[in-house]
Parts: sequence; structure tokens; C-alpha cells
Amino acid sequence: MIAAPAPRFRRGWRLFLFYTSAVLLTGAVSWLFADLLWRTGWSASRTMLLALFTILFLFIALGCMHGVYGFFLRRFGTPWRITILKEFRNRDIAATSTAVVFPIYNEDAVRVYEGLRATYESLEKTGQLERFDFFILSDSTNPDKQAEEERRWCDLARELDALGRIYYRRRLANEGRKSGNVRDFLNAWGRRYRYFMVCDADSVMRGETLVDLVKLMEVHPTAGMIQTVPAVVNAESWFGRMQQFANRLYAPVFIAGLNYWALDHGNYWGHNALIRTEPFMQFCDLPQLPGRKPFGGQILSHDFVEAALMLRENREVWFAYDLEGSYEEVPQGMIENAQRERRWCQGNLQHGLVLFARGLRGASRLHLLLGISGYLAGPLWLAFLLTYNWIRWFQTYTGLSDIPPVHAYTRYLNLSGTAHALLIFVICMVVIMLPKVLALIELGYDPRRRRAFGGLRCATVSVVAETIFSTLHAPLLMLWHTRFVITNLLGVSVGWSPQVRDADGTAWSYAVRRHWGHTLIGLVWGWFMWQLGPSLFWWFTPVLAGMVCSIPLSVFTSRRSLGARARKFSLFLTPEEIAPPPELVALRANMKVHELTEDTSPRHPYAGLAEMVLDPYVNAIHVTLLREKQLNPVYVEQLVGLGAGTPKVRDLGEKLLVNGPHKLTLAERQLITSDAQTMVWLHHEAWLRPGESLAPWWRASIRVFSQRDQS
Amino acid sequence: MNGLGALTDASGHLAGRPLEEWNAAYEKVENYFHALRVRNKVLLGQLVLRVLERAAARASAEPTRSATQLAAEEMDRLVTDWFSEVLQTSPLGSDQTLSTRGRLALLLADMPGRWQGQFLRPGPWPEEFVSAMRDSFLRAGPDFQLSKMTPRPFDLGPIATLTHLGRIPYLRMILAWASFALLLIGVFWLTHGGFAQVMNWFTRFYR
Repeated sequence: MIAAPAPRFRRGWRLFLFYTSAVLLTGAVSWLFADLLWRTGWSASRTMLLALFTILFLFIALGCMHGVYGFFLRRFGTPWRITILKEFRNRDIAATSTAVVFPIYNEDAVRVYEGLRATYESLEKTGQLERFDFFILSDSTNPDKQAEEERRWCDLARELDALGRIYYRRRLANEGRKSGNVRDFLNAWGRRYRYFMVCDADSVMRGETLVDLVKLMEVHPTAGMIQTVPAVVNAESWFGRMQQFANRLYAPVFIAGLNYWALDHGNYWGHNALIRTEPFMQFCDLPQLPGRKPFGGQILSHDFVEAALMLRENREVWFAYDLEGSYEEVPQGMIENAQRERRWCQGNLQHGLVLFARGLRGASRLHLLLGISGYLAGPLWLAFLLTYNWIRWFQTYTGLSDIPPVHAYTRYLNLSGTAHALLIFVICMVVIMLPKVLALIELGYDPRRRRAFGGLRCATVSVVAETIFSTLHAPLLMLWHTRFVITNLLGVSVGWSPQVRDADGTAWSYAVRRHWGHTLIGLVWGWFMWQLGPSLFWWFTPVLAGMVCSIPLSVFTSRRSLGARARKFSLFLTPEEIAPPPELVALRANMKVHELTEDTSPRHPYAGLAEMVLDPYVNAIHVTLLREKQLNPVYVEQLVGLGAGTPKVRDLGEKLLVNGPHKLTLAERQLITSDAQTMVWLHHEAWLRPGESLAPWWRASIRVFSQRDQS
Repeated sequence: MNGLGALTDASGHLAGRPLEEWNAAYEKVENYFHALRVRNKVLLGQLVLRVLERAAARASAEPTRSATQLAAEEMDRLVTDWFSEVLQTSPLGSDQTLSTRGRLALLLADMPGRWQGQFLRPGPWPEEFVSAMRDSFLRAGPDFQLSKMTPRPFDLGPIATLTHLGRIPYLRMILAWASFALLLIGVFWLTHGGFAQVMNWFTRFYR
């Protein structure tokens, strides 16, 4: 079915209807809640409680509406999808050029490259490979990672016979983080490509999907961005598989709802999206925000703002939510997930400054607002619970009793106070659970999808299990988000020690370090609630249980063995687990080969530096790439700024040989590895000098290195 | 091997140096060839001995230099000269570039996998090997097409000035919601005692 693009008034009406539904629902339930508060006697704290309830209920009502609208759209269909607005499958893309870029920062190089390989090979099968180039855009600062990335890139390009199609570029200065990395690419090569696709380190794209996206762009010349909805795949732990299941079952319904009101005013999530290069370069360079950190300076969560800037210039941004073959991965444990949330929290809060920028579309402001509300909900919920506790404590310890109702509606409804509270509680639960139930009902209507999830019974049991876990996890997210918001507002940087994992998941010691505070809060809060009254305590047990059990919950849900066991019992099955697509089969097989054939034991300190200097091939690759930087004035300037090419670098090189790398600072080591001449000289000297004139570290490295190559 | 054997004297020294010294030199050279992924043991042994022969030939003339130093220098010279011949590039004045290019060419031509037998062998070499070595290239990207992205003017609006509220999009919709909220509050007040207050007020007024 071919339809014309959505007229503006239609989007306005949709937006009005959608948000008004949420506001009406919120109004009605908040009114009921106010009535409940009224019957117990009004006070300032109750006013605050009502305000918090109203805001929080609006958040869940919005979530519910996304589910409800999405359900009906999926059940009865909608022509307002970019994939069916115009015929695109037969579009010729011979004249197009697309760059697929992988910005990386000290990532697991094996996983990144295997994801790229899977995408490349899948694209090759479409016969359209020559329209695409691949770029690994490294921002890695760790010399170990740099050496590995360069070596593996060369190996990959040779294996695929793709030298001249798969490129590797490492920046000398990491200005602007990921968005700066992409900008650096665009400034160097952007004009060569009509489109570019940004992938995350864990992204995989099906070749056909990439080609379809380019075709969609070709038939929609006013589209600036097309965002796919990546399916979460390759999860192994209990936690990861639950997240994966939730993503695969609920996301289609939610995104259909999101597309209902957004239409061509969609959003960009930073990866797995195709972008039209020219308007992006023209309109989407990010401004610096005024003021100091954490809000001033560079925009951290660039994606939402880039989409808003694209929309501001009358370019469309669409969700291609029904296009399959776009994949990503999720953290395998609660702590890793929280670490990711922490990064996103700061970026989303910063959007508060952009929210009222002139010229932005209303839909962009809503996307920004929804992002912010996701992180504000935690502290607001905590404030709600604490306010309620305060009211109960005040009543208990002042001996004041509830004021009998005089003008409350409950006399018409014939509800006792407990029944009244229960009614509101039930409504809240329905609003929270309804999207999940609708997703399940929708699954029941679709035999193909039902089979892909292992059948309706398996999916229902999985939804119940996932809901129980979410209930326990939500209070922890509340505490984490509260902490992140407060520390961000105070401008305090909270460093987290690196994740400690054992063979199967999060180590107990690490879980204790990260969760002891949650456990303590849960115990103290539980004791306090018990003092207020056992009945109240039992009402709070879902909140308290998550906190008190956080340590074992975190450890056990990160276990891969438990994830595998859940799979054995057909829990949390997803379409990609039951019938993995070829690109994921290839990825998993190649990852397995690496796992079985490569030494995964921790490398000795400065192993990457040793490799860069001693390995004749890695050294040659590294030096060749450094020499090529001389062709770009920007890089030349950066090299000069670093001090590369000065006599000082040779002196540092001598120091490195005689004293070893531990006598140099990280900046000094980085300077050495940025100087092509010194790197060649070091290779020469390290191999030619007698062992006595080298630091013991070098002698040991040469021995390790030689043994490695013999084995 | 015969060449080295001929240099052994009655005291067991080789070219006037103790065997331990040559053993260290052997290890040094062997390690580097290992690093170049020369894995064939026969070839490896031949190459190392070839280097040591050249070092031994210099040993008597340079008594102050250790066997390891001499062997390392000879290895470097041998490899660089061979790169120069294969790649048809003069080694003079560009040793560093030649060395880097040569090593990269070895990798990209897959010397460790396909052409171990050709490594350091005097020419002529198979045409395929020569073209693979000479045509090898490695690039971080295609030719640069430099440009510069610059941010467009970005007015943060009311956050900065808290003015011009009238320009907020969907103002009418927000106003409608605000009216709805006011209506709720109003009806709530009226039905929770407010209506009685109003009636009282009217009663007093009309009295």
C-alpha cells in the first residue's frame, strides 16, 4: 500500500490525541488519589505527595499509552510507516556511496571486528558491497588496545581481501568523544559518501537491511536519518537474556506506539541508523553549552540533539521499526547495566539545557523530555516513598488519627480507606503491566512470532519471571538513578573501579562492594517500616526485597550457567535464539574460534607497547598509519601539538629502552607511539642492541615474544 | 654450515670467540626471524647460519664488538639489502622507510603463509611473489576530501532568558491541559466543601 507522506496537521492531531490520553488518565487517577489523601486530612506533605504521584503517574501513563497505541497499530495495521509509504525495494543504488563506521574506544577488538566481519560478509551476499566502505574509527588511548586493533584490522582486511574497503583510523586527540570521533571522520572523508551508518562496538547489521536503508533514503530525499530498532542478541546470562527477551517482546509494541505520534519527527539513538551525510555535516555539528560541567561544555548524549538539529532544518527522521536485521548487545549483569545507565544519565540530564532551545520542533522537545524523565523518575519515586513514610511516621508518633471523611467521593463509591488505597494501587499496577499483557496478547494473534518465542506458554511464563525480576530490580535502579542524578547535579564525578568478573559472571566480592549500601538501606528501611506497623511493612516488601537481596540477585543473575539453565527450561526464548539468522551464526562461530584458539590469560603490563615495538609487522602497520597522517593538515597540527618529531621524543625513546616503560608516564609513552621515526628506530634498536644495554623488561619481552611466535 | 665449521679452532672457539658468545648471537638472530614468522625449522636454521657466517667473517677484524652485535648488524644488512632488491628501491638514505615498507610487504604478500621459501633468497623470484610484494599498500582511508563542520547558531532560548514563553510550541495544547487541571482542582474543591462555602456565601449575600 502506497500512501502520501503525513501532512503536518495529522501529526499534530496524533500527538494531541496520544498525550491527551495520558494526561486524561493521569488526571482521573490523580483525582482519585487526592480524594484518598483528603479523607485522611490535608497537609503540606500530602500536597507534595500528590504532586509527586501526579508526575510519576504521568510517566507510567505515557508508557502505557505507547503500549496501547502500539498494540492497536500492530493489530490493525497502519500505512504510516516509512517502509510502506513508498515502494523502495526496486530502487537502484548504483550511484550511491555509504560508509559504515564503527567508532570504538578501548573496546574488545575481537568482538568489534567479528561484528564487522559478519556485517561485511552479509553485505557481500547482496552483491552491493562495492557501494559500501567500512571504517573502524578508533579513539583508543590504551597502547595495548591500539596495537591489537591495528594487528587485527590488517588480519581481517587480508582475510576478507578487503584492503581498500575496510579502513582503520585512530585519532591522536579524543576531542568530543564519540561525536567528535564521527565528526573527525566526516571532516576527512564525509564528502565522499552520500550516507553513513553509525554502528556501535557491539552492532551487527544484516546486509539486506543496510541495502534497504539506502534504498529508503533514495526514495525519501527529505529524510535525514532513518533509525532502525536494534534487536538485542547474544545474551547469555540470566539478566542479559531477560533484557533480551523484554526487548524482543515488548519493544515492537512500544516503538509502534512511539511511531504513532512521532512519524517523520522521530529520533536518533546514536547507532544502527543511516544518516544522510550532507545535511548532517551542514546542520548537526554540536554547539558547546554555556556554563560549567556537568551541564555546560560538550553535549555528551549527542544523538537526540543531532536528530533535533536535523528536524530543525526540515529534514525527516524516521524509525524503520519493522525492518529486521539490526542487532546490538546488552550488559550481562546488573552492575554493568548500572555503569551504562550512569553515563547516559549525565547526558540526558544535560538535555535539560537544550529543551527550550529556539527553533527546535515540539516532537524533539518531547523526545528530550522523555529521555530526561527516564532518569528523574528514580529520585521522584524515592521522594514519593519517603514523603509517604514521613506522613505515616508523623501520624504514628504524634498519635493523630485519620480525620473522618466529610466530603470525599468514597462515600458515593462506598469504599473503605483500605479499599480506596487498594483501588489506586490496582490501577497503577494495571497501567504498568498493561503494555506487557498487550504484547503477550499480540503475540497470541501472530502464529509465526508465537513460534519464534517458543510458544505462548513459554512466553507467558517468561513474562511472569521477567516481571518478578523487574519488581526486584526497580528499587535498585531507583537508588542508582537517585545517586547518579544527585552526583551529576553536584558536579561530582563518581569513579567506578573496573568490573571484576569470575568465569561465570559478577564476582561475589565485587557485588558486595557495589551493593552493600543497597542492602543496608533495605534493612534499615525495613526495620523502620516494621516499627510503623507490620501491615505497612508487608506492603513495602517488594521494594525492600530488591534492596536486601541485591547482592545475591546481582551475582546470580549475571551467571551464564543460570542463563543457560533458563534456556533449557525454555525461559526467555527469543526469535534469534530459536532460529539464529546467518549473520549471527557466523558471528558466534567466529567468536567461538577465537575463544578456543587464542590465549585469553591477562597480558603482562605494557604488552601492547612491546608488540608495537618488537613485532616487525605490527610496527610496520603502526608506522605506515602514522606516516599517512602527514597528508591531513589537521593531524599534522595535532602531531606538532603533541611534540612528535622533536629531539625530545628520541630522548624519551632512549629512556624507554634503557629504563623500561614503567619509568615513563602515559603521556610520554603516547608521545613515543605517535612518532613514526622513533617507532622505527625503537624497533631497530630493540632487536639490534646487545641485551645488556636494554632494560630487563625488554629482555623479558623479547623472550616472551619469541616464545609466543614459536608456539 | 661448512663455512662456520671451517672457522672453528683447536680450542673450540669459533672465529676467535667462545661458542657461548655465538650461541647468544644465534639466539638473537633466530628470535628476530621467529618474529618475522619464519616457522620452517630447516629454513630458519639455514638463514641464521648464513647471518652468522657473515658475522664470523667480520669477527677477527672487529675484536671489540661482540658476536651478537656483529650478527645483529649483519642480519639487518641482509634483510635491508634483500628488501632493496625485491622492491627495487635504493637502500641509501631511506633505510627506515625501506625497512618499514619491506616488512609490510612481507605481511601483505603473506610471506609467512605462502612464500617462506623466497624470504632472503637471491633472485629471480616468482613473478606472483614479486608483484605481491611491490603492489602491497596499506591505507587508513581513501583519499582525503577535507572539509570542516561548524556548529550553526544555537539559541538556548527560555533557559537562557526565561522569556518569550509565547513561542513555546504546542502552547495551546499545554494551555488546554492546564485548563483541564484547573477544572479538576475546581470541581474537587467544590465537591469537598467548596460548594457549601459558596452556598453559604450566596445565602449571606442575599440576606
